[in-house]
Amino acid sequence: MRHGPALLLLAAAVAALGLVPVLAPPFYANLLVPFFGYAIALLGFNLLFGYTGLLSFGHAMFLGLGAYAAAVMAGVLGVRQFEIVLLGAALAGLVVAIPVGYLCVRYTGIFFGMLTLAFGMLMHSVLFKFYYLTGGDTGMRIPRLRILGLEFAAYNKLELLAGPFYYYCLGLMVVAGLVMWRIVHSPFGLHLRALRDNAQKALYLGVRVRQFRLAAFAISAVYGAIGGAILGFRTGLADPELVYWTHSGHLVFMTVLGGFTSFLGPIVGALALTLLQDQLQSATQYWRFVLGAILAAVVIFLPRGLAGLAADVGGFVGRRTAGAA
Amino acid sequence: MSAQVSAFGDILLGGIFHAAVLFLVAAGLQLVFGVQKIVNLACGSFYALGAYFGITFVNLGLGAGMPAWTLLPLLLIAGLLMAAIGPPIERLLRTVYDRDESFQLLLTFALVLMFQDVFRFVWGANPQSLNNVHLVYGKLATGDFSVPVYNLMVIGAALSAAVLIGLFLKRTNYGRLLRATAENRAMAEALGVNVRSVYSAVFTLGTLLGTVGGALVVPTAAASLDMAVEFVIEAFAVVVIGGLGSMAGALAGALLVGLIRAGSLVVYPEFEILAIYLIVIGVLLLRPSGLFGKPAT
Amino acid sequence: MKLSRRTVVKSLAAASAAATSPGVFAPAIAQAKPVRIGILAPRSGIAASAGESGLRATQWALERYNKAGGIAGRKIELVIEEETNAKDTIERFQKLVQQEKVDCVQGIVSTGVGLALGPVVEEARALTIFWDGTTQDGVDEKLPNPKYLFRSTDNECEAVMSSLLAIKHWKGQFKTIAGINPDYSYGRNNMAAFVALLKRFNIEHQVVTEQWPKVGTMELTSHVAALKAAKPDLIFSSLLFADLPVFMKQAHVADLTKGTKLVFPAAGWQHTLMKKDFTPEGMIFGHNTLYFDNPKATAMQKEFVAWYADKFKDYPNWEADRAYFAIASYKEAVEKAAKAKGGQWPSVDDIIGAMAGLSVESLGGKGSWRKDHIADQTFVQGFSTHKNKFDFVTLDPATIETMYSTDLQKPPGANFWDWLKTAQFKI
Repeated sequence: MRHGPALLLLAAAVAALGLVPVLAPPFYANLLVPFFGYAIALLGFNLLFGYTGLLSFGHAMFLGLGAYAAAVMAGVLGVRQFEIVLLGAALAGLVVAIPVGYLCVRYTGIFFGMLTLAFGMLMHSVLFKFYYLTGGDTGMRIPRLRILGLEFAAYNKLELLAGPFYYYCLGLMVVAGLVMWRIVHSPFGLHLRALRDNAQKALYLGVRVRQFRLAAFAISAVYGAIGGAILGFRTGLADPELVYWTHSGHLVFMTVLGGFTSFLGPIVGALALTLLQDQLQSATQYWRFVLGAILAAVVIFLPRGLAGLAADVGGFVGRRTAGAA
Repeated sequence: MSAQVSAFGDILLGGIFHAAVLFLVAAGLQLVFGVQKIVNLACGSFYALGAYFGITFVNLGLGAGMPAWTLLPLLLIAGLLMAAIGPPIERLLRTVYDRDESFQLLLTFALVLMFQDVFRFVWGANPQSLNNVHLVYGKLATGDFSVPVYNLMVIGAALSAAVLIGLFLKRTNYGRLLRATAENRAMAEALGVNVRSVYSAVFTLGTLLGTVGGALVVPTAAASLDMAVEFVIEAFAVVVIGGLGSMAGALAGALLVGLIRAGSLVVYPEFEILAIYLIVIGVLLLRPSGLFGKPAT
Repeated sequence: MKLSRRTVVKSLAAASAAATSPGVFAPAIAQAKPVRIGILAPRSGIAASAGESGLRATQWALERYNKAGGIAGRKIELVIEEETNAKDTIERFQKLVQQEKVDCVQGIVSTGVGLALGPVVEEARALTIFWDGTTQDGVDEKLPNPKYLFRSTDNECEAVMSSLLAIKHWKGQFKTIAGINPDYSYGRNNMAAFVALLKRFNIEHQVVTEQWPKVGTMELTSHVAALKAAKPDLIFSSLLFADLPVFMKQAHVADLTKGTKLVFPAAGWQHTLMKKDFTPEGMIFGHNTLYFDNPKATAMQKEFVAWYADKFKDYPNWEADRAYFAIASYKEAVEKAAKAKGGQWPSVDDIIGAMAGLSVESLGGKGSWRKDHIADQTFVQGFSTHKNKFDFVTLDPATIETMYSTDLQKPPGANFWDWLKTAQFKI
C-alpha cells in the first residue's frame, strides 16, 4: 500500500483533532463530540451507499435505535459501563436491521430509498405513540456512564464531554475506521463493489447479491447504532426527532458533501457540515435555505464532494511537482 | 337515515375526500417517476406552496369583491399559477439527469430545505387558513348525514383528473409519446422525440397536480410550516402501496390509505399514527412491488 | 419586525435616559458594557408562531428598558439562537454560554428540549429562564431542585382551570364526554387531568370516545365524524397547533359543535385563527397567561397589545407574556440584588437569590417565582363570545375567571396525581 503521504496527512488530522480540547475554546470540543458519532455512523452508511450503491433515506432509525438502546440499558436496566451499552446498541441495530433489511434489499435505487424512509418514519411513530414505554415526545434519559471503567467524578458532564469522552470518541472513530477499512478491502468489500457496478453480472459470477446487500445493511446498522449511542450520551436524552426522515436526509447530505466515492469522504462531510451548520445558525435565521443551496451546489458541481475536490487538487499538485522534478 | 349509517357515511366521505387530495399529489409523483425516473421529495413543498398561495390568492380575490362562489375557480387558478415553478426546477434537475438517481433525490431534498425558509420568509410563522368560505356551495344532507358540496366537488375534480390523465396517456398521441419516452428514452430520442421538452412538460404537469392538490385542500384545512415535510410521508406511502410509476396505483393507494385511516379511527383510534405504516408493510409483504407496480431490480 | 439573528440594540434615545436617572445604579466603568441575554426560540415548524410571539415581546421589553437606562444602568443586547431539537438546542445553548458568554439565557417552548437542556443548564452554571415547556412529569422526577434553572408553570395548569370551570358551570348538565387531544405528553396529561378532576368531584361521566390525532395533523374530518357518531354531551380538547382551527372548521361543517359543550383550555394560542365564522359562543376558552382583550388589563398590557397590533397587524398570544415575564423578572432580580450591594452589579448567585420569591407585574397579570424555581402566574379563561369588533372570538367579559397558579399547580415536591385527589380547589 503506497499510501505514504496520505497516511501522514491522516495522522496529522487525527493529531489536530486531538489538540482541539487543548487549544480551542471549550465550545468546540463539545461541538465535535456529535461529529465523532456521525463519523462512525456515516462510515457504516457509506458502506451501504458508496460501496454497495444503496441509498437509504431512513438510516437515522439506527442512530435512534442506538440512543434508545443506551437509554434502556443505562436508564432502565442500570448498566454503568459505556462499553456494554455500545455492545447493546450494536446488537439492537443488528436485530432490527435483519428483518428490515430483508424486506428492503429486494429493491435498489429509488424504491429502496422510499422503503427505508417509510421504515424510518414507522419507527418515529412507534417511539412517539408508545409513550408509556418510550417516553413519547419527551424521550428517555441517558444518564452519565463510566468510560473504560472510570467514573471521572472530578469532571462535571460538560467537562467530561470536552475532555475524556472526546478522546474516547476520537479513539472509537479511529478504531471504527480501521475496521471498516479492512471490511472494504476484503473480498466481501470487493463483491459489494462488483454488485454495485453490475448486479446482473455479479449474479452470473456467483455472487449472492441479496445476501451481500443484507450483510452490508446490517453492518451499516451496527455502525449507525454505535454512532447513535454516542449522540445520545452527549445529549443525555434519546428522543424521536433523532429518527425523523429529515435527519436521515442530513446523513446523506454529510456523505455527499464529503464525497461518497472516497473512504474518508463521509468523515470529512460530517466535520464540514457540523462546523458549517454551527456558523450558519449563528449567522442567519434562514440557515436552512443556505444549507439547501449548498447541498444543491454540491450535487450539481461537486459530485465527488470535498474529498473528491481534495483528491483532484492533490493530484494536480502531484502532477505539477512531478513535472517540475 | 339512522345515526349509524349517517356516521358511517360521514367517515367514508371523509376518507374519500382525503384520498382525493392524496391522489392528486401522488399522481403527480407517479407521472414524474414514470417518465423521468425522478422521485420528488419536494412534492410536499409543492403541496404546501399551493396551499399558502391558494389562501393568498383567494383573499385577494374575495377582497377585491369577487363573489364567494368563485372560490373553487380561484383555488384552481392559484394552483395553476404556482405550477410555474415547474419549468425552472426541472431545468435545475436536468443538470443531474445523466447521473445516478441518488443525486436527483438529493437535489429534491435540497429543495425541501430551501422551501422551508421560503414559506417562513413570505408567509411568516403563523399558520394560515380561510374561513368556511367553501360552505357557499352548500351542503348535501339527508337526515343526520351531511357533506359539503365542496368536498364532493374536490372528489369529482380528482376523479376527472384520474380519467383525463388515463385517457391522455392511453389515447392521445402525446400520451403515447410520453409512455414511449418512459419505456426507452434513447429509442424515443432516436425516433425524433424532443425528450427535453417532454421532460419539462411532464415535470410541470406533475408539479401542477401537487400545487392544485394543496390549493384544493386549503378551505377545509390550513397552511402551516411543517405541512410540506409531513405530507411527503403520506404521499410516499401511497406510491409505495400503489406501485411506483403506476397511475392506477396512485388511485388504489390513495383510496386504501384514505379509507383505512378513516376506518381505523372508528375501530381503534389509538392506532391512527401507525395505520399507514402497517398498510405499507402489509402490502409489501403480500405484493412486494406494490399493487400495480412492476417488479423491480 | 424582522429580527436579524443577532439584534444588537444600542440605546434608542440616549437623551431620555437622563429623564429617568438611574441614580442608584451609578454606572461604573465595568457597567458601561451591555448586559447580554441569549434567547433560544423556535423559528420554524409547528412552534414557530410561539417563538415569534415571544421574540417580539422580548424585543418590546428591551426597547422599553433601554429607553429607561437598561438593567441596573446597563443596556440590554440580545443574542438570538434557534430552538430546534434536543441535541442541536443544547449545542446552541452552549454556544451562547461558552462562546457568546451571555449573562442569562431565556427561551424554550418545547417540553422535550426543556427536559434535555435542564441538566446542561445546571452543569454549565448558567442562569436560564424557560418560557414554557414545563410539565408536571418534568418537574416531578427529572430535576427536583435546580439552582440555575427557572422553569415556567406546569403545562397542566390550563387544563386544571378549564376542568374546574366546566365542573362549576356545567355540573349535572353532561353525562357523556369525549376527548380529542394531540397525541403527545401535553395532550395526554391534559385529558387525564380533566378525567381525574371529574372523578375527584364525583361528577358522573362516561368517556364515549378518545381521539388522538397526530400532532399538527390537518386531516381531521374522520375524527370529527367519529366524535359525531359517539354523540358526546361534552368535548374536551387541548388541541393548540394549526390543527385547532382546522378541527373547529371541520367540526362546524359537520354540525358537531351545535349543542355540545366544549372545553378548550389551550385555544388561546391560536386565538386569532378561531374565527367567529365557525367557532361557537359559550365554549370554555383558555387564554393561559395573557388575554389580549382583558377589560382588567394593566396600562402596560394595553400599551403592548396596541404596539403589537399596530406593528404586526395581529394580536399576541400568551407566549408573549411568558417571554416578557422572563426578561422582566430577570431585570427586577438584578436590580434588587444590585441595590442590596450598593449599586454594584450582582453575581449570578446574588441574582438567583433575589429571583426566588420575587413577584413582578407581567403583561397578563402578576407573576412570581417559587423557591423551587417554578413560576406562578395569572391565568385567564372564560366563555367565548361573538360580540366584539374582531373577526375571531373573544371572551365574554361577564364570564372571565382569573386564577393564580398557586391554585392550579401542585406545590413543591408533591406528586401531581395525588395532589389532584386531595387539593382544596377554589371552585
